[in-house]
Amino acid sequence: MSTVLQTEGLVKHFGGIVAVDSCTIDVEQGDITGLIGPNGSGKTTLFNLITGVYRPDSGRVSILGRKATGLESHKICHLGLSRTFQITRLFWELTVLENMIVPVRKVGLRPLFGPGMLGDELDRAMELLARVGLTHLKDERADNLSFGQQKLLEFAAVLMAKPDVVLLDEPAGGVNPTMIRFIMDLIRSLNAEGVTFLVVEHNMSMIMELSDRVIVMDQGRTIADGTPAEVQNNPLVLEAYLGS
Amino acid sequence: MSRVGTFLKQYWMFVALGFLLVYPLIWRAPYYHVLGFNTLIVATAATGWNILGGYTGYKSLGHSTFFGINAYLVAITANELGWNPLWSAPLLALGVTVVALVLGWIMARAKGSAFVIATIAMLLIFRLLALNVKSVTGGAPGLSQPLAPWSPEYSRMPFYYYMLFWLVIALLVSAYIRRSRFGLGLLAIRDDEGKANMVGVNTTLSKVLAFGVSAYFIALGGGIWSYAQTHIAPIFAFSILNDVDTVLATMLGGLGTLWGPVLGAFILIPGSDYILFNFGASQFHLAVFGVLMVVIILFLPRGILPSLRDRLAARRETSSAFTGASTMEDLSDSQPRGEVPGREAPAP
Ligand SMILES: Nc1ncnc2c1ncn2[C@@H]1O[C@H](COP(=O)(O)OP(=O)(O)OP(=O)(O)O)[C@@H](O)[C@H]1O
Ligand SMILES: [Mg+2]
Repeated sequence: MSTVLQTEGLVKHFGGIVAVDSCTIDVEQGDITGLIGPNGSGKTTLFNLITGVYRPDSGRVSILGRKATGLESHKICHLGLSRTFQITRLFWELTVLENMIVPVRKVGLRPLFGPGMLGDELDRAMELLARVGLTHLKDERADNLSFGQQKLLEFAAVLMAKPDVVLLDEPAGGVNPTMIRFIMDLIRSLNAEGVTFLVVEHNMSMIMELSDRVIVMDQGRTIADGTPAEVQNNPLVLEAYLGS
Repeated sequence: MSRVGTFLKQYWMFVALGFLLVYPLIWRAPYYHVLGFNTLIVATAATGWNILGGYTGYKSLGHSTFFGINAYLVAITANELGWNPLWSAPLLALGVTVVALVLGWIMARAKGSAFVIATIAMLLIFRLLALNVKSVTGGAPGLSQPLAPWSPEYSRMPFYYYMLFWLVIALLVSAYIRRSRFGLGLLAIRDDEGKANMVGVNTTLSKVLAFGVSAYFIALGGGIWSYAQTHIAPIFAFSILNDVDTVLATMLGGLGTLWGPVLGAFILIPGSDYILFNFGASQFHLAVFGVLMVVIILFLPRGILPSLRDRLAARRETSSAFTGASTMEDLSDSQPRGEVPGREAPAP
């Protein structure tokens, strides 16, 4: 198995506080890796460092064996890593279908100036929309969707960029149990098709059931790393959650 | 709907174009030709400006920099090299676009109001240059160039048709961009630039290209304006009032729509001319502009076309509700609207 995402000694300060503190993780190809930690432990900031939202103060990121430290976000996407946001972000004034067409793995000059909706992409977009049950809303503006539908759309849209690795930031945040099941099944079936996942989630039963491996962060550092069972019995983890 | 109404709805574009084609033949006084020409310049500029300001949301108040640069380039090449502005204006505008791409690359770092201020600063710098590099620009008194060869009785008629041609080109380019992947990226930048970048849109490149394309159509107008004026001076060539016309026309008609900038220009320019005509050559029309700007922002924040479209859509919805034509599917489509977490419909 090969490592598709690796960070080494990532550090990020915001003013006086250290949000991410020499964080080293690696994500193996084909895995669903869980990333957990108490509120404010730096999970989202780690995602932001990996995806070029912030530049790390120090440390390295590599994606699919390529150096990716401090690259612009669209270059990260072109390398094959996509993400969703903890608070859903969509192109609110565009339609559902347009939201699907914008994401792209890599586009040459000719397709860039060609028509926005080419046959292949349109087919793929409709396929993915059908998979998340949004086909009937394809011409609706994104801001007319319900909260849950918006989350599904964001998830489906990042898949349009044909990512090898997907980072999900709280995919089950604020959604009902039926929807959580649905999202878990979706993650599993995409994983079976070869997509590697790194999933941040506070829903413990979900993460423990879903993950091949779980990484635990506390105060910007990784404090544990192992199978769900190992992590659940790790005293450091219990301390971080219950602790101080 | 009446038969005329249906016909207009389908063929309004050709009706409008037909009207614009015969307009100078019906209204033959030079005044009308000048007015038509000025309106077309603003309509073309606004259509171009909209590609940046409307599609990406980056509202430049300094794009008349490119109007001014090309006005000077056309005058200088006409004087020194004998170039005919009818072909040199669109050609030199390409050169100005290259300048705009470089400047746009610098400006694209700024966002929001910082961007607006940076573009105003750009305009002021070029105006200062035009005022002070006297050996090239003639300084404050400006430059003259040869008159157009056709007889004065035709007045501005050829200019009018020339600009009408370019307005059509500008609209084709704008429509083409809007449908391209590039254009979709621009709209995505307007909605959420960071997210657009995250899903693979090269946002810097997109913004710079939009900056350049919009500059082209403004530069083109500047070149032809220069020829029509025969005499140009920095305070008119590099004037923020040109930007105000462009931006106001776009916002009045509908920011980010294809036809809005044209509609806005055809209301704004004849309108302000009417005021100028009836209230004398004072600065009164500027006050009216100011009031108009406030009115648009307060009552028509999205411009005429989008507001009309909403109104029509709302009317259609109520009428279909009365005829009982809506299916369950329709209802479920229109129901959920940004709800509280946990209340959404279960996943299929
Ligand atoms: N842009 C920012 N400016 C200042 N401080 C920030 C910023 N982003 C994050 N922080 C701080 O960095 C720390 C880590 O935050 P982060 O959002 O990464 O945590 P998290 O693990 O994602 O938490 P949660 O589970 O609540 O989402 C917190 O103390 C947070 O307040
Ligand atoms: Mg977070």
